[in-house]
Amino acid sequence: MLLPSHAARPDGAQPTLDAQQLGKEYRLYDSPVQRLLSLLSNRRNYRSHWALQGVTFQLRRGQCLGLIGDNGAGKSTLLKLLAGTLQPSCGTLARHGRVTAILELGAGFHPDFTGRQNLYFGGSLIGIDAAQMRTLEAAIIAFSELGDAMDRPIKTYSSGMVVRLAFALVTALEPQVLIIDEALAVGDQHFQKKCVERIEAFRNNGCTILFCSHSLYHVQRLCDQALWLHQGQMRALGPTPEVVAAYEAHVRLQEQAEPPGAEAAPAPRTVPSVAHIESVQLPDVLEPCADIPGCCGRLNSPHLTITVRARTADGSLPHFGLLLEQVGGVGVTSVGTHTDGVQAHLDDSGAWVATVTFPNIPLHTGLYKVSAYLFDSKGLVVYDEWKDCQRFSHIFAQSTPGIVHLKHHWNGSES
Amino acid sequence: MKMLAAQAAALWHARSLCWTLTRREISARYAGTALGVLWAYAQPLLTMAAYYLVFDVVFAMRLGAGAPTHAVGTYLIVGMLPWMAFGDALARGMTSLLEAASVLQKNALPPMLFPVRAVLASSVIYAPLLLLLVLAYAPLHRFAPALIALPALVLLQVVLCMLWGAVLAILAAALRDVTQLVTFALSLGIFLSPVLFPAHLFPETWRWALWLNPMTPWVSSYQGVLLQGAWTPLSHWIGMACWLIGGALLLQVLLVRSRDQLTDWL
Repeated sequence: MLLPSHAARPDGAQPTLDAQQLGKEYRLYDSPVQRLLSLLSNRRNYRSHWALQGVTFQLRRGQCLGLIGDNGAGKSTLLKLLAGTLQPSCGTLARHGRVTAILELGAGFHPDFTGRQNLYFGGSLIGIDAAQMRTLEAAIIAFSELGDAMDRPIKTYSSGMVVRLAFALVTALEPQVLIIDEALAVGDQHFQKKCVERIEAFRNNGCTILFCSHSLYHVQRLCDQALWLHQGQMRALGPTPEVVAAYEAHVRLQEQAEPPGAEAAPAPRTVPSVAHIESVQLPDVLEPCADIPGCCGRLNSPHLTITVRARTADGSLPHFGLLLEQVGGVGVTSVGTHTDGVQAHLDDSGAWVATVTFPNIPLHTGLYKVSAYLFDSKGLVVYDEWKDCQRFSHIFAQSTPGIVHLKHHWNGSES
Repeated sequence: MKMLAAQAAALWHARSLCWTLTRREISARYAGTALGVLWAYAQPLLTMAAYYLVFDVVFAMRLGAGAPTHAVGTYLIVGMLPWMAFGDALARGMTSLLEAASVLQKNALPPMLFPVRAVLASSVIYAPLLLLLVLAYAPLHRFAPALIALPALVLLQVVLCMLWGAVLAILAAALRDVTQLVTFALSLGIFLSPVLFPAHLFPETWRWALWLNPMTPWVSSYQGVLLQGAWTPLSHWIGMACWLIGGALLLQVLLVRSRDQLTDWL
């Protein structure tokens, strides 16, 4: 599942990022007047809220740490501390080399100035002086694909253009430490792919990466270490698969605690420009009975077969992922062409097609749903996702408690 | 004073960025106008020209005995220009942190960069104008040697604005009402200074109150140097030192107390 890891590279003893007992206290005052009084009198007239406490970890060259946790767990606060935009209330933080943070892109741009003027100014904010910018300018403009628009005021840009310029600028110089906050969702699909490729290139060159995302898929795919923050404290730190598994169990418990019902309606599908899923078909599932509302078709075969079709604008090879879940319950399994090392094939109409078969599917009786994902050739950029796009019911005659019947044997004599 | 020294060192380290920010603040202020940065110089220059025309040419008003000069316009300009410079720099310094909120929250920069650049952006307009007054006033006393004190006075005034601009910027970050209060104080403060009336016209028993205005020692010194070619007396230097040291001490305290929370307040 993991991309090749660089963590094992024996590379000097000094960590590039060393956080010891980092803490961030927010002081809550009853009113701004109290805040002013505390400045002038140094009285303790506030309540403390510790957004982060006792965070200790070290990262070496080439390591990639994924940051996971619920909303409000302190992930953003930690990223801002590491990026240097917030000051820690306690603890120490040592960073070596150039630190680049992709937090919120485009801060400090002035709408009345041209793209080029903003480029030079934005560069000076992140330590690129005018002389250095002159040598980088051409590459930045090429990467952002802004061309002639560079000499127009930023206020005439679309939000995507601003983000493209900002991303090209902050990643113009190769950093030793790269901090990314959900930045994989930058711009359109075509640009997302370029962003991911650039980040991958940094990683291959030994850049230390700190990556915060709600997408556990991406954390598992990119990171060799994961840190789970819970209510401002470290809950787990270690190899990604273990930490993510522990976090997933925690999320599932939380979901069970919440009242069931109201499942979110599937978001309306827009047809993305670079690549999109065309269809997801389950040929062995019978038509649902029209009389019973909410009824699903029954799987009329011991084998489950799913066929996915997709188109890419440039005809390049995509990868497919499929997720099989119980309706209102837990995930059963997920498969991907990239993780299984197979390629989709082109059909006569120019669409990419992949078919997966689960022979003698070992599911117990229940309602199941299928979600399909379309990835780029590396399995990183999510081009398209059809969540809960097909449902089916499955009846297993000898059903007992549980969700699957696992292959098993007893060490006893037959009765 | 460790904190203040550390901040000063950080600013010195980022001096080229500070200068870029300063130039950008000025060009951003006049972005889209045809005359651009010329407006910055035109406004104070035209105001001074109006004072001269109205008071000295059209009405030819005179100050009474004991004044350093008798022409009202001539007297007014020497105090008014430094006062305008002070008010402009202080007001811009005060709001600088609040205006830089989005930049500070997303870039790792020393916060004090912004009050300093705001004061610098104001000073590059007013300091040359103040020094140019020499050309208009030196003939009054045939280039008296005391004029060499003028650059020192201007420089100290810039430092004064930086220190107090930074103090007010932190206070304004804590409580927004500070900006309203200070704007009001600046509009009234001119009456508690020798800008409009020579100090000897103030009632003897209340004259001490003039020193509550930080600009009093500076304005008096400018008037002495430019109008009479007189050396700045020690009492004025002490008055300036008090306001400078007071500002530095207060800034040190505020920096220590707001250290890790300043950006959270913006």
